[in-house]
Amino acid sequence: MRYETEFDPKLNLILVAGEVSGPLGRTALRLVLDTGASETLLVPEVVDDLGYSPRNAEAVTGVYSAIGKEQGYILRVAEFSALGFTVPDFRVHVFDLADRYAIDGLVGLSFLRRFNYEIRSAEGRILVEPVATS
Amino acid sequence: MIAASNLSPVLPEPMTWGEICERYPSQWVCVVDMDRLTPTSSEFRTARVVGHGATRREPLDQARAWRSRFEIIGHYFTGAIVAPVPRFLP
Repeated sequence: MRYETEFDPKLNLILVAGEVSGPLGRTALRLVLDTGASETLLVPEVVDDLGYSPRNAEAVTGVYSAIGKEQGYILRVAEFSALGFTVPDFRVHVFDLADRYAIDGLVGLSFLRRFNYEIRSAEGRILVEPVATS
Repeated sequence: MIAASNLSPVLPEPMTWGEICERYPSQWVCVVDMDRLTPTSSEFRTARVVGHGATRREPLDQARAWRSRFEIIGHYFTGAIVAPVPRFLP
């Protein structure tokens, strides 16, 4: 099964749709596809609204940003979806992003490594197929 | 008064993304009843705005009352996209 996602090639970021589920419901988000990010990131406002809290954290994490090293935490969400695929019990990093950054997170390699994917930047298309697991 | 307090808030009219951006410029919004272009797309023909504000949290707080009626709530910014690129520690 191969899935195709379109994005706006005129933007200087690859914006994709995502969804995350929690105890209180499901939220659709706008995320940046970032092959340079090792982890998938969500902002705390979104996961808080779904019924999670730092008390559900598996670990505290550190992130380098423009203003230095900042803390976030690791959380397992019930489901995370992007690029046409849904992963249950998915581990995300919860990390604060200023409101002026008009996204709710990043899709990083922790999600992408489950797939083979082709980013066709000039065409604004991402082709994704799951990797067969034994 | 007791009966009135049990009434659901009135569901807003459907709007296109362009209309939402025009009415709530550079704001965070929460939308429900999204008529999506494709099942997994963040683009939609119309949706109903159930929360809006200057911060990410404001519309989410306003939209909470609608969670029981709608399976999914969309959370989007109506202005220009500016994103940081944080890097994770090993």
